[in-house]
Amino acid sequence: MADVRLTDIRKSFGQTEVLHGVSVDIHSGEFISLLGASGCGKTTLLRIVAGLEGVTSGKVEIDGRDVTGLPPEKRDIAMMFQSYALLPHLSVAENVRFPLRMRRIGSREEQAEKVRDALETVQLGHMAERKPSQLSGGQQQRVALARAIVSRPKVLLLDEPLSNLDARLREDMQVELMQIHKRLGLTTIFVTHDQEEALSLSDRIVLVNAGEIEQEGAPEDIYARPATGFASNFLGAANLLPAEVDQADDIPIARLADGQRLELSTDVAVRGPAVIALRQEDITLVAESEGMLAGEVLARIYLGARNRYVIRVGGTEIRVLSGTEPVYEGGDKVGISVAPERMRVLAEQ
Amino acid sequence: MVRSISPLTRAATIVFVLLTGIFLLAPLIVVVGVSVSESQFIAFPPAGFSLRWYGEVLGSDAYLSAGFLSLQVALLVTVTATVIGGAAAIAIHRRGIPFADLLGTFFLSPLVLPTIIYAIGMLVLWSTLFGAVSMLTLWIGHTVVTLPYVVRTTLAVLSESDPFLEEAAQTMGAGRLQRLWLVVVPQCRPGLIAGAFFAFNISFDEAVLSLFLRKPGMTTLPVQIYGQLEFSPDPSVAAVSTIMIGITIFLILVIDRLLGVQKFASS
Amino acid sequence: MSDRAENTLLVLPGLLLLALAFFVPIAQMLMLSISGENGPTLEHFARFLGDPYYLNVLWRTVRLSLIITIICAALGFPLAYIMAHVGPRTRLWLIVMVILPLMTSVVIRTFGWMVLLSRSGLLPEMLRSMGLVGRSYAIMQTELAIVIGMVQVLLPFMTLSILGVVTRIDTRLEEAARTMGCTFFAAVRTVVLPLAIPGIVAGSLLVFTLSASSFITPNLLGGSRIQVLAASIYRSVTQTLDWPFAAAQAVILFVGVLLILVPYARLARGGRNG
Repeated sequence: MADVRLTDIRKSFGQTEVLHGVSVDIHSGEFISLLGASGCGKTTLLRIVAGLEGVTSGKVEIDGRDVTGLPPEKRDIAMMFQSYALLPHLSVAENVRFPLRMRRIGSREEQAEKVRDALETVQLGHMAERKPSQLSGGQQQRVALARAIVSRPKVLLLDEPLSNLDARLREDMQVELMQIHKRLGLTTIFVTHDQEEALSLSDRIVLVNAGEIEQEGAPEDIYARPATGFASNFLGAANLLPAEVDQADDIPIARLADGQRLELSTDVAVRGPAVIALRQEDITLVAESEGMLAGEVLARIYLGARNRYVIRVGGTEIRVLSGTEPVYEGGDKVGISVAPERMRVLAEQ
Repeated sequence: MVRSISPLTRAATIVFVLLTGIFLLAPLIVVVGVSVSESQFIAFPPAGFSLRWYGEVLGSDAYLSAGFLSLQVALLVTVTATVIGGAAAIAIHRRGIPFADLLGTFFLSPLVLPTIIYAIGMLVLWSTLFGAVSMLTLWIGHTVVTLPYVVRTTLAVLSESDPFLEEAAQTMGAGRLQRLWLVVVPQCRPGLIAGAFFAFNISFDEAVLSLFLRKPGMTTLPVQIYGQLEFSPDPSVAAVSTIMIGITIFLILVIDRLLGVQKFASS
Repeated sequence: MSDRAENTLLVLPGLLLLALAFFVPIAQMLMLSISGENGPTLEHFARFLGDPYYLNVLWRTVRLSLIITIICAALGFPLAYIMAHVGPRTRLWLIVMVILPLMTSVVIRTFGWMVLLSRSGLLPEMLRSMGLVGRSYAIMQTELAIVIGMVQVLLPFMTLSILGVVTRIDTRLEEAARTMGCTFFAAVRTVVLPLAIPGIVAGSLLVFTLSASSFITPNLLGGSRIQVLAASIYRSVTQTLDWPFAAAQAVILFVGVLLILVPYARLARGGRNG
């Protein structure tokens, strides 16, 4: 395991610049997620660390060594591709052995031992002699994982490895990834567009937006304190209420678009045009007169164990997750309450 | 099948297919039939049953040397067409060179040109530069003509393959040569085999080029047969032809074993 | 070595081979067709185009090729349609049936027809026994023989060409037409046929080109009295040893083929938009 340092990475494809000076410090043994929407540059960044793409400018260092110009085969990495990229003409065992062969790690017996170990780790020891085409999608994924860890690379790179799996398999694989990371402690860079995945797996999240780093930090920090509207929106279906923040006797007051007023907690420093971010699950619905704000129910979406409501308030529509009782229908007037510490007030951008 | 057709139409369809089938296969059946005829005259249905014509063929210097030449050339051509064509297909597929698309068309161009036009050109050029034609001329000419088939089948296979395999191999530490030999070439294998099959078959059966690029003492088997047909055919011609048909069928069986005819037929 | 260098190395042998052993010979032949004792000349072309005998040869070649192409298309389309709609096992057999003749030498196939169509051959015998023709009727040495032989040789090309396109046509389109009231044949005519046009055109180009440039089958089945262009070229090269004239004829053949191909190709493009 090793640390990875990216310094001021710029990347252009032709005339289009896709990465605008990205710098990230990844500590040895850390599991870090590059999170972002499609096209934001996160996969390009990963491929730059792998050496599959060059940089237009900037530096890539692995374990203190400048690898910027080196091709992938000369970097001590392993990568797991979204489409598994298993060699179809080789057996599962031969696939897993391939990196050991190429990097000349160990004797034949030692290699066989490592292969066995890796396959046991992903619970596919009994499939060693099969061909990839004979395996299900989930099994192929695990072979790809075994192949990636067998050489104990300095950096493990995962490019949206779980996005082709159905929900159930995905959860199982997430657990396996966590366990493997705990056991082996490899420095891991994980690319995904799924915020829940990033939140559950990572030591640290790097949120990427349009070729720049929007925010980085531990999952709890980012989730609880998104720094921007984008971050807020991306991490946990937030509701965003535009407001104007004034002050009345040292207490910040938010004035919403429909004229309603909301008292904010005193440590809110933002003044002027702002956006109040509220999570679906943090909002409680009460009787109209008892809430901090008043709104009108537009629709109820039945989710089985819960109801989701679309409510018009503050000049916009918000979504609220609520229990099975009481039930509101379209047209009902309702009160909305949120714990003050659960409100994020962000300066308007 | 579109089931909702009248029984009359269905019957007509079956008749049509049968007649067309007979039409397509008739000459081959006739040739085989004539080869076992007892009589000296070519007639179908054959008169009697005898294998003497096969004996004649196998004892004939002319046929044996022609057959040997055809075999030699076909084998050489198979090797060169497969290697050269396969390599070119890999480079084109990777788009690793400028004008990859144009090159793809370039390599298919011998297919577009009628062979007879190429044959004249080749004969004229060779005679001007080197004088008399030789087996080398045949080898080169046949390779040119069969190259497009190898390129086409290999490209077809490559276009279906996982585009990330080479990158994955790189991330696993494979160097350039290793990538090519251990990852890319195995990917091409079905295409290369199909291409090799085409190359051998086309070269072995090739008559047009070989008719132009021949000299006394150097004729390929199809040319030999053509010569006989022009003047005085006896059933030994049929025997030789049947042997050739047999070789073709044998090759098909081999291909089926290696690839499965379904996959092969789609190329 | 860089990526580009590696790929250049891979493509180079083929590139050189085709450049030197394909394009240079063609260029050489083009030059030969206009070569004369005193420099470049068009006398060979003039000789060909000014002689009614040769013009007749040209006309015969074009005429026969058109007939052959049309027959192949007429047979190939239904055959391809049927092949596309049968079960996989049957289709496999049909494919073998179509490909097997393709994989045998043209001389062998022509030989088979020689036997079938000669005076004592099976076909004339049958016609004779049905009382349709006279005693000495022979199909050999006629244009009919050439057409029959060539159609058998070239039908597989047409069929496979159309097959590739027809298999990709969504069967639901046909079924939709049927539910809207079309009979089977009407559905085929209005739905499948227009969509199959690209394959038919491609097949036709191929068949026409091959047919116009073949001489083995016409020579053997038509005899020396019925000459096609390619046969004339062969004779110029091997018998009269008049190579410049042969080259000129080859150029005429090539140009002639192009002249027919271009409007055909336009038709294909138009068919796709229509």
